[in-house]
Amino acid sequence: MEKQKTKFIFGMLLVCILLINTSLISAEVSYCCEKTVGGAWCLNDDLSQCDSDYRSVPTSCEATSYCRLGTCIDTEAGTCVENTPQVTCSSDDGGFWEEREASELPQCQLGCCLIGEQAAFVTQTRCKSLSSIYGLETNYRTDIQNEIQCIVSAHPDVKGACVFEREFQKTCQFSTKKECQEMELSSGYSGVEFHEGYLCSAEELATNCKSSKKTTCVDGKDGVYFLDTCGNLANIYDSKKQKNIDYWTYVAGTGGVEVCEVGSAGCGNCDYLSGTTCKAEGGTHVCADLGCKYEGETYNHGETWCAESEGTSSINLMSGGIITTDSSKENLPGSRYFRLVCYNGDVTVEPCADYRQEVCVQSEVNTFKTAACRVNMWQDCYAQNNVDDCENSIKRDCKVFEGFSVLKDEDGSSLFVTEDAEEASCIPRFTPGFNFWEPGDAESTCSIASTVCVVDYSAGIGKALAGDKGDIIANAQCVEVCVKEKCGIVEQVWLAIKQKILKGEALLASCQKDCYDGCMPDCVYNGKLDKDKWAKDMGDMCISLGDCGSSVNYIGEPGYYDLDDFIDIGGEDEEEE
Amino acid sequence: MKRGVGKSKSGQVTIFIILAIVIIILGVLIYMFYPQIKTTLGLGPKNPQSFIQTCIEEKIEDSVETLSLQGGSLSPEHFILYDNSKIEYLCYTNEYYKTCVMQRPLLKAHIENEIEDEIKEEVKECFNSLKESYQKKGYSVNMKEGGTNIELLPKRIVATFDYSLTLTKGESEKYESFRVVLNNNLYELVSIANSILNWESRYGDAETTVYMNYYHDLQVEKKKQTDGTTIYILTDRNTEHKFQFASRSVAWPPGFGG
Repeated sequence: MEKQKTKFIFGMLLVCILLINTSLISAEVSYCCEKTVGGAWCLNDDLSQCDSDYRSVPTSCEATSYCRLGTCIDTEAGTCVENTPQVTCSSDDGGFWEEREASELPQCQLGCCLIGEQAAFVTQTRCKSLSSIYGLETNYRTDIQNEIQCIVSAHPDVKGACVFEREFQKTCQFSTKKECQEMELSSGYSGVEFHEGYLCSAEELATNCKSSKKTTCVDGKDGVYFLDTCGNLANIYDSKKQKNIDYWTYVAGTGGVEVCEVGSAGCGNCDYLSGTTCKAEGGTHVCADLGCKYEGETYNHGETWCAESEGTSSINLMSGGIITTDSSKENLPGSRYFRLVCYNGDVTVEPCADYRQEVCVQSEVNTFKTAACRVNMWQDCYAQNNVDDCENSIKRDCKVFEGFSVLKDEDGSSLFVTEDAEEASCIPRFTPGFNFWEPGDAESTCSIASTVCVVDYSAGIGKALAGDKGDIIANAQCVEVCVKEKCGIVEQVWLAIKQKILKGEALLASCQKDCYDGCMPDCVYNGKLDKDKWAKDMGDMCISLGDCGSSVNYIGEPGYYDLDDFIDIGGEDEEEE
Repeated sequence: MKRGVGKSKSGQVTIFIILAIVIIILGVLIYMFYPQIKTTLGLGPKNPQSFIQTCIEEKIEDSVETLSLQGGSLSPEHFILYDNSKIEYLCYTNEYYKTCVMQRPLLKAHIENEIEDEIKEEVKECFNSLKESYQKKGYSVNMKEGGTNIELLPKRIVATFDYSLTLTKGESEKYESFRVVLNNNLYELVSIANSILNWESRYGDAETTVYMNYYHDLQVEKKKQTDGTTIYILTDRNTEHKFQFASRSVAWPPGFGG
């Protein structure tokens, strides 16, 4: 009884650990170090960690003048950085610190900066800075209030054929109108004319530039482009239109000329987001596939997926959850989730947070995989006392474990009982990892699954000494509480029932019988003591809590202890633990 | 007779060893003092601008490479060791579950200052070598020391030295300042790093694919460490230039972290 009480109190304490954890840390950390001995700025830490050449006061950094968080405005570049302590925003480097958030500062309001053929959603100061850096005129529009609209607003300059005479020959350069006008003023060529929407190879311009089979890649663009005989850019490569007069006359989008569809055969309309880009290969230019090969599988450019990491669960959101279900092989000590990313022909590995504090989840649309490392929400599992709350996948990653409850009241009765009147616990769906080799909470967390199974027999001492223990009977104290609460039994009636129980006689009333069955020891299955099954069930429960109990690690190496090391089997009148 | 042959052989070996040592020493000296030796031997370029470019370019390149791998600092104070590199934390919290605090909000200015400080001595030496080389060629040299300014700009790094130099040998040539331009996209990588750090400080994480979708030649790698630190490695796929930095934000403890 005393042990159960202690366990209950401890269980409750553990459940609250997460909630009070942050405040515990805050309580330990009492000084705000302007700079720590390790070189970090503005940390709450012990006084011994504060650099004595800098300020330190016994309060939280938020309460100090020098480490208060605000927005650092780079007055030169026009950028705003939030969550910045005042001390790191030096005016010597062009910084200006404001306590307010960036969204409240007029200097940090964003607008659309149209610069050359491009657009950027930035502050007005940044727009001016970009103008001076690139030497281009800008148009800053505050009426455009989102980035996508801003990017769509960027209009490339209209291009066309800039025809002129050089060395008594009529030639051409594909350019913008502005470039053509500049050429007229600076080059001294005669007969300069700009033909908007025309290619230099247009026959009606009668220049020396003709269609050709040459192709090229263009910096900053994805497609493969035709080149004319003068080396000017023409339309996107299309094998079907190599000799099409209109295709060599008008810029695509004018004169009824359209480019071929992305991905179609013989088409140079490569698209980075669709997984192709222009590359030079074997003396020609092609739409190169940016997909990846990894462990014999082919992945598309932009695909992300969860690695088949040893000792982890395979979680697919499309198939409704976990694919693999053998808990003895999942979320083992040392295992970790990883996300793999395919971009530009390279696969990179992104580890999720260690100790399985993040899990990798994957979904698939039309065979295109997308994965993400997301937080493993296991922390409040143990506090749930019903199936609905436990399995609420929006709030937490937990599952129900039947047969044992970590939540018990002062009398040792389970606080989590399923509809089938089974004792249960709410445990992590993806078992978290612990740093059990260091001092910490691993031992205390694991110990909530420690339990004692007391088995009472009906035989008296005399019979027992003769080797006859009689039948296993339910825990009388448990039955007493139950029948008094649920069956309305008064003390005098209870004493009679108790006698029946101790003699091993069956209770006839349905309510009393239910109480009796519900108070049989956990290690008794169908009226029989099964130590091995109980030990295995408890072992499973133990490893479901975290890196507890007897388990192999993620590479299959057994731990220091066997299951037997955790089971203490007592004899008669002793406890089985 | 045999003995004589033996002696002459061992003598030859000694000469070869001595020759080898001399060659190695010469090689080391040339490697260490190449611009100065070039100047002394009169092999250096006549144009002072080219002289300075040749003399200081490598030093700037080395500094940029080193600080790019160390989060923007040449001697990081607060760092994590990763792949034998000290990677500075640009956003950090020592607590669990909390977002980080910006350590270097003015990163571009910090990097510019770091490079300036690092090349200061080398710049002086280069200008002194320049002066000496022209004096040896019979020029009367009047040099006035000035400041050094480093600017990170799109696709390039520009170093401006406000040294004035007047060379007189019959007629005078005057140079008001000197500029060294390096092709380097540190400006772009630092801008992307700033954006990632804004995400880290606000949400505790940043999605790498967003940046790779937008910047086609960029590779963004994210390496979460056991202690909750995240190391970001930004690589330009064309030039292989890298910028790597560390952040610790919304870190999760093992277990409950009690």
